[in-house]
Amino acid sequence: MSDTEPSADRLDYVEWADRLRDGDLVGQECAECGHTTAAPKAACAQCGSRTLATVTLPDSGTVHTETTVAVPPKGFEGEYQIAIVQLGNAKVLGRIDDAVDIGDRVSFTDVILTDDHPAPVFTSV
Amino acid sequence: MTTFGVHERPMPDLFADAAFDAFDDSGIEPPGIEALYVGNAMGGMTENDTHLAPTLASHIGCTGVPAQRFEDACATSANAFKHAVEAVESGRHDVVLAGGVERCTPETGLDTDAMTEVFVSAAHRQYEQPAGLTFPGVFALLTKRHMHEYGTTEEHLAEVAVKNHFNGTLNPRAHFGRETSVEKVLDSPIVADPFHLLDCCPFSDGASAVVVASEEAAESFDDPVDVAGVGHATDVVPLADKVDLPATQAARDAASQAYDQANTTADTIDFAEIHDCFTGAEVMATEALGLFEDGGGGPAAAAGRTALDGEVPVNPSGGLKAKGHPLGATGTAQIVELTEQLRGEAGDRQLDDPERAVAHNLGGDAATTVVTVMEARQ
Repeated sequence: MSDTEPSADRLDYVEWADRLRDGDLVGQECAECGHTTAAPKAACAQCGSRTLATVTLPDSGTVHTETTVAVPPKGFEGEYQIAIVQLGNAKVLGRIDDAVDIGDRVSFTDVILTDDHPAPVFTSV
Repeated sequence: MTTFGVHERPMPDLFADAAFDAFDDSGIEPPGIEALYVGNAMGGMTENDTHLAPTLASHIGCTGVPAQRFEDACATSANAFKHAVEAVESGRHDVVLAGGVERCTPETGLDTDAMTEVFVSAAHRQYEQPAGLTFPGVFALLTKRHMHEYGTTEEHLAEVAVKNHFNGTLNPRAHFGRETSVEKVLDSPIVADPFHLLDCCPFSDGASAVVVASEEAAESFDDPVDVAGVGHATDVVPLADKVDLPATQAARDAASQAYDQANTTADTIDFAEIHDCFTGAEVMATEALGLFEDGGGGPAAAAGRTALDGEVPVNPSGGLKAKGHPLGATGTAQIVELTEQLRGEAGDRQLDDPERAVAHNLGGDAATTVVTVMEARQ
């Protein structure tokens, strides 16, 4: 059993998901190397530091890549577009509400829930 | 190895066929096999079968040896092979069996919808699955960025499928034995753009195995080939955190390790077996392995430079696209193809006297990649 208590100020998945469900998209910035992620981890994926600050991510950004899923897995319906969006220094994967191409500007507008697990939704600006 | 396709027989019988092929080919069998390194990716979910290594060891007459199962998504048996090579290289064992087995067709009792859901498990549970990302979607995101940066086209991708389907017609073990055309690929239904159905590899059943022996032990075999290097690297997960998506950085790092161990470079490679789970994956891998410059993979495939009679044939076996993809069996099946080609025993698809080849087996969102360099024994 670990003697290490979860750091009080470390953003974990439960808090990240709670805040996202409330419409607040946050990430982590590494105090050592400055790496920023929208997918919180227990240590920095680039340098291993455990000193990670919770940061609010910009609410608009640019489509880095995208695809339209035509054959969805069980529990999902119809065609839908998924994109990786560059938000400031971080990239985040989310759903697209309308239709976008790489390079388009989008903003964070909504959240979808799958078995209560949230994913951000973006819409063209 | 077995044929890849649809198999009614359960995993232990499939694996036994592959293991006995390896035993008969090498002329060694239990009790000469000192350990078993076996890959199976999804058996717990697809066949309710988890304690597989001793089950398989018992089934093939290797009861009592240290036996272990590896799981690394689609890179599962290349990872088993890597550990087998390292165990022999370190002197811990002299002769071991490495292989893999998987069933992915409805013979498991799971239909295509259910299997698609199983495959989604290779995407990040918290940060990717809730958005509805599918496995084709993962490689579609990587490939669309490649197309954006380098001008790779859907026609380039289709040419990869056409080539691999043709090669598959020459491979009696292949799941698909029919040719296709660029028009047929582009007319097939979209799965996740830019991928049409014929850009995607099939769900297959099958098994593969190879005997890994020390230098000294190999002297007593008729026709060994040499493992010159095995590189294994991982990249950050999830996809969104990868610094350069179409670079598939783990492949570059693993290739660099493997080439260094083999004291060679990409320009000496005579042919490659590459993990073409989707056509775009092959294009990105040919660049990551250094066979073509970045952005050159698509045009190279379209120009026939990766065909059987091209300058660097890629996937003479038909690849995952045509040979088939029983996940846990794919990595060591690539090693079987390298072995047969380097010996000159590949039948109708035999290349012109190759001396050095590379195998590239990736897992998940390409965050795991194992690259192996093998050489004909002079």
